[in-house]
Formats: sequence, C-alpha cells, structure tokens
Amino acid sequence: MALLEVSGLVKEFDGKPVLNGVDLSLEEGQVKVIMGPSGCGKSTLLRCINRLVEPTSGRILFRGEDVTRPDTDVRALRQRIGFVFQHFALYRHLSALDNIKLGLRKLRRMSDAEATDRACHELRRMDMEEHRDKYPAQLSGGQKQRVAIARALAMDPAVLFFDEPTSALDPRMAREVVALINQLFMDNVTMLCVTHDVFLARYISDRILFLDHGQVRAEGDVEQLLDAHDDPQIRAFFGPGTRAR
Amino acid sequence: MSFAQIVALLATGAGYTVLVTLACIATGLLTGLGIALLGRLRLRGLGWLLRAYTYVFRGVPVLALLFLVFFGLPGIGFNVPPLLAMMLSLGLVTGAYLAEVFRGAFEAVDPNEIMAAEAMGMRRRQILLAIEMPQMLRFSVPGMLNEFTTVLKYSPFAYTVGLPDIMKQAMALSATTLRGLEIYLAVGLLYFAIYKSLQFLVRGIERYFYVPGFTRL
Repeated sequence: MALLEVSGLVKEFDGKPVLNGVDLSLEEGQVKVIMGPSGCGKSTLLRCINRLVEPTSGRILFRGEDVTRPDTDVRALRQRIGFVFQHFALYRHLSALDNIKLGLRKLRRMSDAEATDRACHELRRMDMEEHRDKYPAQLSGGQKQRVAIARALAMDPAVLFFDEPTSALDPRMAREVVALINQLFMDNVTMLCVTHDVFLARYISDRILFLDHGQVRAEGDVEQLLDAHDDPQIRAFFGPGTRAR
Repeated sequence: MSFAQIVALLATGAGYTVLVTLACIATGLLTGLGIALLGRLRLRGLGWLLRAYTYVFRGVPVLALLFLVFFGLPGIGFNVPPLLAMMLSLGLVTGAYLAEVFRGAFEAVDPNEIMAAEAMGMRRRQILLAIEMPQMLRFSVPGMLNEFTTVLKYSPFAYTVGLPDIMKQAMALSATTLRGLEIYLAVGLLYFAIYKSLQFLVRGIERYFYVPGFTRL
C-alpha cells in the first residue's frame, strides 16, 4: 500500500483552479520531487496534503485512510508529516534547541529532559549540536535549514515535505543542504520535495513529477524528464545543458 | 522648612502614587492582553465587542470616567473605593490603549512561523501562547513603557477621590506654607524619580528576555 495516494485533487481560489485534478502516489521510503514553473501549484499541493489549505475536491489517502473526510483529525495528520519551509520558519525567540523541543514538549508531551535528549540527537545528526544555544539570527541560512530539518525529524514523521528547501540559500549552502537531504534519502526517509533546483532533483530523487497549470504534465525518472523529453514545454523549462550537470 | 524636608514630607504620598500607578498598570495589562488575545483568536461574534471597548475607552476622558465611577455609581447603589475607582477608570482606559499596542505587535509576528507551527500540528491556543505572545510582548516594550508613563502622569487624579498621593500632600502643604514654587518643583522631582525607577524596571525585564537579532521583520 502506498504511503500517500492523491487522486483528482482540485483546489480553487476564488473560482480559479490552482490544482486541477492532480494524481500522485508516494511509496514508503520513496523520494519524489515535484517541479514546474512558478505558480503551477506545487506548494499548494503540499499544503493541501497536510490540510494547511483545504482542497476543493479530490481524495487523499494517507496509509490507506481518507484524510479529506470532514471527521479527519487534521492535527494528528500534520504530526505525521514533517514540513520544511523555504524560509526556514524557525521560531525567532527560541534557541535552536528550544525550536526542536517545542513540538516534543507540546505535542509529544515529553519531559524536559527527554525532549532535550531527543533534540540533541537530531542536532547531532545534522552536525549542529555545537550551535544548540544559538538563536536563528545567529545562524547562517544553511544552518537554519539544518535546524528546520532537525525540528521536523524530531517529531518522527512518516514523511518529510520540503518546500523549496534550497531556494533561499547561496550555492555553497544549497549544496550543503542537498548533501544533507541526500543523507536522509540514504537513510530511507520518505520525502516529497518541491523545488526548482535541478541539482537537488538529480541528487536526491528517483522520480520527478512535472506540474503545469495545476495538472501533472509528466512523471518519470530523472533521466526521462531532465534529458531531452518529448514535450517541448518540459524541454523549455529545464533548458539546454541540464544533461551536462 | 528646607527643600529636603519638603521632599521628605511629599515622599510620604509617593507610596500611594506608586500603588495607584502599579494597580492601574496591572489592570491595563490584564484587560489589554485579554482583549488582544481574544481579538487574535478571531472568535466569531466577539470582534465588534472588543472594537467597541477600545473605541469607547480611548475616547472618554480619564477624569470624566473616574468621576462617573466614584461619584456616579453610588447613585445606583454601588459604592466604589478610591483605588478601585482609579483601576476602573485609568486602568481600563490604559487597557484599551495597550490592546492597540499589543494588536500592532501581534501583526509583526512572522506568519511563516505560525504556519510552521500549524504544519507541526499545534493547536491555535498553543501557537498563541508559545510563539505569538512571547514575540508580541518583546515587540511591545516601547509602546508599553509609553503607556506606563502615561499612567504615572495621570495618577495625580487619585487626589480628586481622596487618595493621599504626592499631589494631595503637595496641595495640603502648599495651602499651609504658601511655598508653591519649591513644593511643586519637589513634586516634579519625585515623579521623575518614580518614572526613572519604572523605566529601569522595564529595561531590566527587557534585558532579561533579550534575544539576539530579534527585531521586527
């Protein structure tokens, strides 16, 4: 059974469709990248799946359970999905350690000592333990994204969603984060990643889904999509030279 | 009578001035926070009531409200003690102004942080208390200090309802010695000393909760 199965997902804002019948499936341990032009509905798709945005219609099965039903425990669903944002979204008044502990204390009801242990473990995993007492303003972009990933992982989610994780970073920091996400891929963490970053897509993904005007225009493995696809629009999006990277 | 003796005599009323100021600040903080938090929760049907409160209490003169409470309410059977009358007038007016300070500071909280907490599965109330409020209070410090200073400067109204604060002592002393210049100069100095102490206290709290690099976006 797929971890996640989305079928016929539609989202309209003021009658204008942003997602127009999206189908998607994600297996346990799989990494799938969603690419497409700006405004094609990539981020909205992620937000619909964890119900940050209410879908207009369609069905989302999470481990076989229809999570679009009105009686769905939305907060429980969200706790099973780790979300990493483009602009990190760290809580600016809390240290790196406390950013991670907050969810563990409030949602997992861990004691302070348990939460600290767990948070330190995740910070170590991200090679950030020495920065545990620093506040977000004292961290570089790459370090902030590491803390954001540690915060998501600490909740032990079934799947990690990345919403453009490298687009707010300079190339060096972006490479750091790509290596880190690749490490998660090696660790068999299930991930769904929205990105414009072809380097990231190539590095971490076994499948790419190309979204255009709220619809899945193509889906295939990296080589199929990035290298001379039949569809001129997809070729135009990735441009020449993609193969050479 | 030396200037030092005048200051010492007036200082006997300083305790009441501080008491009135702190009681009104506490009332203002409680009502202001309550209104701002309820407003932030966007509870259906409550918005108009909160707006009406801030609209009315920011528009009514403190002295008129104080007289309404202290001299008006006994007419319908409610005798209000002087300190409580100050809290129900100056305190509630301060609450209306502070509610606006807090509302503005809430708007400065980064919506992405709120979304991140929602995405994590936190309840609205948890987000409000653990993320929005700690940030909002830090953003509010300059506005709060302004309001606290205003409360101190309005506190002499307490003498009109019989509280023996600095002003009451000054008027009594002035009436018997006719040395108004020195007496009211001493009053000014005492108020300035209380203001500086209040500022020192607030700045101390601000330093304690200081977060490096934490500014409005």
